[in-house]
Order: sequence, then C-alpha cells, then structure tokens
Amino acid sequence: MKRHYDPFLIVSIISCVSVSLFILAPIIQLLLGPSWVIILESMRDPDIQKAIGLSLYTSGIAALIALIIGTPFAYLLARKSFFGKRVIEGIIDLPIVIPHPVIGIAILGIVGKQHWLGALLHRMGVYLMGTISGIVIVLTFVGMPFYINTVKNGFEAIPVRLENVSRSLGASFRSTFFRITLPLAFRSIIVGFIMCFARAISEFGAVVVVAYHPMTAPVLIYERFTSYGLKYSQPIAVLLILISLLLFIALRLISRKDINL
Amino acid sequence: MTYIPHYATYDIKNELKMIRRFKKMKQLQSVILLAMIVLSGIDITHSMAGPSGKLVIFHAGSLSVPFAAMEKHFESKYPKLDILREAGGSTKMARMISEIGKTADIMASADYNVIDKSLIPSHASWNIRFASNQLVLCYTKKSQYASEINNTNWYNILTKKGVIWGHSDPNLDPCGYRSLMVLQLAEKYYKVPGLYDRLIANRPKRNIRPKSVELISLLQTGNMDYAWEYLSVAIQHKLQFIKLDDHINLGNYQLDSYYSQAKVNVSGKKPGTTLQRVGKSCTYGITLIKDAPNKKAAVTFLDYLLNPDGGLAILKNMGQPPFIPCRVPTNAMKEKLPEMLKHRVVVTD
Repeated sequence: MKRHYDPFLIVSIISCVSVSLFILAPIIQLLLGPSWVIILESMRDPDIQKAIGLSLYTSGIAALIALIIGTPFAYLLARKSFFGKRVIEGIIDLPIVIPHPVIGIAILGIVGKQHWLGALLHRMGVYLMGTISGIVIVLTFVGMPFYINTVKNGFEAIPVRLENVSRSLGASFRSTFFRITLPLAFRSIIVGFIMCFARAISEFGAVVVVAYHPMTAPVLIYERFTSYGLKYSQPIAVLLILISLLLFIALRLISRKDINL
Repeated sequence: MTYIPHYATYDIKNELKMIRRFKKMKQLQSVILLAMIVLSGIDITHSMAGPSGKLVIFHAGSLSVPFAAMEKHFESKYPKLDILREAGGSTKMARMISEIGKTADIMASADYNVIDKSLIPSHASWNIRFASNQLVLCYTKKSQYASEINNTNWYNILTKKGVIWGHSDPNLDPCGYRSLMVLQLAEKYYKVPGLYDRLIANRPKRNIRPKSVELISLLQTGNMDYAWEYLSVAIQHKLQFIKLDDHINLGNYQLDSYYSQAKVNVSGKKPGTTLQRVGKSCTYGITLIKDAPNKKAAVTFLDYLLNPDGGLAILKNMGQPPFIPCRVPTNAMKEKLPEMLKHRVVVTD
C-alpha cells in the first residue's frame, strides 16, 4: 500500500527542523567555543561568581515581586471585565515593546533629583542608580508582563463553575481562591515565574543604563568582551546558560510533579 | 430546462473576459519587471562615477554629533551614498573589527593610540591625527554646589561627602583613563599630596559608566552632580562646565612631557593583567580599514573630512579643535596613504 504524506505535514517537519537549527546553531557554537580549562578557570573567578550570583539573586527577587503583586492582578484580569480593561492590558504589554535602553533611561528619569519622586528618594538617602535595588526595579519592570500574561491565561483556563460550586457550598471568596483556584493555577504560576525569571536574567540594555557596577552577568559579559575580547566573555556566557538551564529544568520538574497529584 | 436569468449569463461572460484581460496584464507586468531589472543593472554601472552604496563608519562616542552633521552634509552631496555610523568606546569599536571581524570602512578613535595598537598592521596601515580635545568637569544648575564651583575649588567640592561625581570606565573608554590622569595631574599642579586618593575614595564604583557620553543622561536626570567629559561633548550637549588649566586638561600637545607624569593602569590582554597608559594630549586618529567593502566612498569621505572647509570646519564649530592641516608621524606613513589624501596631511610628530 502506498503511504500518503500530507504536504502540510512535510512542511511542518521542515519548519520544525529549520527553526530548531536556527536557534541551536549559534548556541552550540558558543558552547563549543571555549575550552573546558577556561570554563573551569572562570568558575573560580570571584568576579564571575559574584556577577552570576547577582544575576540569579536580582532576577529571583524580581520574579518573586511579580508573583506577589502580579497574581491577584492576573486573577482580576482573567475573571472580571470592566471599563478600560483593554487599555490596562495594553499598558502591561508596554515593557515588551519599549526598547531596553529606553526603559533604563525612563527609570533613571524618575529616580533622579530632577523628578520629585527621585528628589524625595535622595533626601531619604535611597539611591537607585548603580545599586541592587535599582537592578531589581529594572528587572521587575521588564519581567512583569511575562508573568501576568502567563498567569492570566492560566486563570482563564480554570472553569468558573468550580469556583461557583465552592462558594455555593459556603466557602468564602478568599478560601475559594486559595483552596480551589490557586492550586489549579499552580502550574501556570510556575511557568509565569520561570518566564519572568528568564526574561530578567537575560536583560542587558536596561540594566547597563541604570547600573554598570555592581555587574550582573550580562553586563560582565559585555565588559569582558569589550576589554578582553571574545575568548574571556564566552565562558561566562556558557556558565550562565548552563546554570539557567539547570534551574529552569528543575522548576519545570516541580510543576510537573504537582499536576499529577 | 432550467431558467437562466439574463443578467447571470451576462455576468459570467464578462467575468471570463476580465480573467483573460487580467492574464494578459500579468504577462505585460512580468515583461516590464524584466525590463526594469535590466535597466537598473545598467543604471548601477552608470552611477559608478560618484561614490554610492553603503559606507560604514565606526567612531568614538564623543564624535557622534559632528559626524552626524558630516553625514548629513556628505549624503546631500552624494545622494546615492548611505553612511552607516556606529558609535562606541574606541577600544571596543576597534575590537569589533579585529576580533569579531565586523566589517567597516573607516574607524575614528578618540585616542589615535588605539588604532596604532589594535588595528595596525593587520587591519589598517596608516593613522591620521585630525583633531584634539580636552577634559572638562560638567554639571547642571541643579548639581550640588553648582553656584560655588570654579576652576580653583573644584577638587575640594569633588571630595565633599554626598557629592556624586563620575567618569567612564578606564578599561573601555579613553575618556575614562584620561579623567583619572586629570586627577593625578591636579594633585601635582595644585601641590596637594594625597588628593588623587581622596578624590577616588569619594567616587564609589557605581558612578562609573562604560562610555562618557552615558554620564550626560545621569547629569540631566539629576542622578549625578558632576561628570568628566570632553569639551566638545559639553558644548554639543549644552552642559555647564569648568575649564581647567592647560597643565591638567590634556588639551595642549606642547605639554605632553608634563602630561606624561600621569600613569593609569588599565586592563591588559587577559583578566588580571594590566597595561599602563601614560598621559598624553587628547588626539583623535582616523584610518581606512584594509578590507573596506566600499574603499572608493571611504576615501572620498576622508578627503571631505580632512578638508579644512569640509569636515574640519564642522569639528571646529562643535568645540573640537581640528589640526589644520592634519598630521601623520612619519614620511613612510604618508607614502602609504591613498593618493587622494596625501595633500591633506603634513608629516610632524
């Protein structure tokens, strides 16, 4: 019997292979570039350890902030329709479309002394230029839309019916949210967390405007590249990719486990 | 027999006619398209007379404003030419060419030494000095002590607690190590031992930026009170600034031996190694990249830039004193210049 191949299937397979290659080819080249000796040497470099640590720390805090502030907001967007909702959804997406250095400049604009908010902060002795808090603010700014959009979709996928049943059986709004909605949305919350974390870790353009020192890993990669060249910037990139990969696989595994319960 | 209304048959006939006409039109279109392709090919060979295509220029961040003006002027002269500029710390831009293999036609550096050290001999063969500059201390009306600061008390103000001042990264930007040299020379010139260390102690690392031009937005947004910049940059961005004595501003090449007292260590070829930069006047260098894709346009542009009535006049108007005429250090280097540019330079060290 002659096998029949759907031309669409063939096109899909071709596009799958070419997209994968398109993404993997430069990354494989990057991973194969530096020798293991240099990578091991870099792992012991205190500057690199500090930068990668700072990147993980600030991105993690940014993702946590997104989780705490963003979850109730995402729930609101998923469940209620109100006047101006489209506008608010548009505003949330703004950080994705604004060029990164512009985000940095915009943030510096309100934390400087020329702006009343910045003047107030300066008087209180809070400096955001070149500080860890400044980095966290930038990373939260760029990561927030990814968290909210993902979690909003997660909440939308949960049938309202279940919440109504819970409430009709006497559960309060709050306990319905924590005992019914939240556990069901757990996976999408983890995915949103990962997305926000990943987006934050990769941010360079906005961070370098607000804080050059202390250096996050992408800024250190840039600094090493410009002052020493490719050879000494590649190993940091490789380390950063490997660490992020491990972290994200771990988080995905956690979320997978829970969905099977 | 089914009844076909009159208007329906008419419609179908008309449609068939339209389809046939459309097919003919398509044939005609492809003929026209083919003709256009052939003609445009002829057109390209015709326009070889003047420079055309793309001209890629890498230049120091501090040259952005005058080079933008030159680009506009030059492109209006040669409308078929598209100048693409990329600005950055000079050392970084040179690395883009030598290590990443990015293609460029022209490279202009804020320190002519960068071209000598990282581009010659493999990526360039000559280096013309075309302009000078000097360092100034920039501020805005809102900076702390803005009403008090002058060119005799500036270093006292920079050591005051709470005053936020910065410079660019000495490892990435010549303006960065030059700022440090100014501070060292100030210690010698004002005869205040330990001044340099006290100044640096009041400048936390977070006040350092990759490029000096980036400090301007920090000044303007009130995140920083004072920043070290080139005079040209201060004028182009309409900043307030303190002009310093020639002995410390690195602007007068006749004082090069005095400037050489200042020594700053910057990062070397490997992390952990350093390289010593010795004080010298700010002298800008420009070169043609050896494998420039558009050599013809590049040489024409250089001829325009080195012309006292062309690019050099623009530099002068923007606070960046040009060398008239421009300079090369040796006769041997002058010999290596493209014929068209030889009359634009003199040999002097």
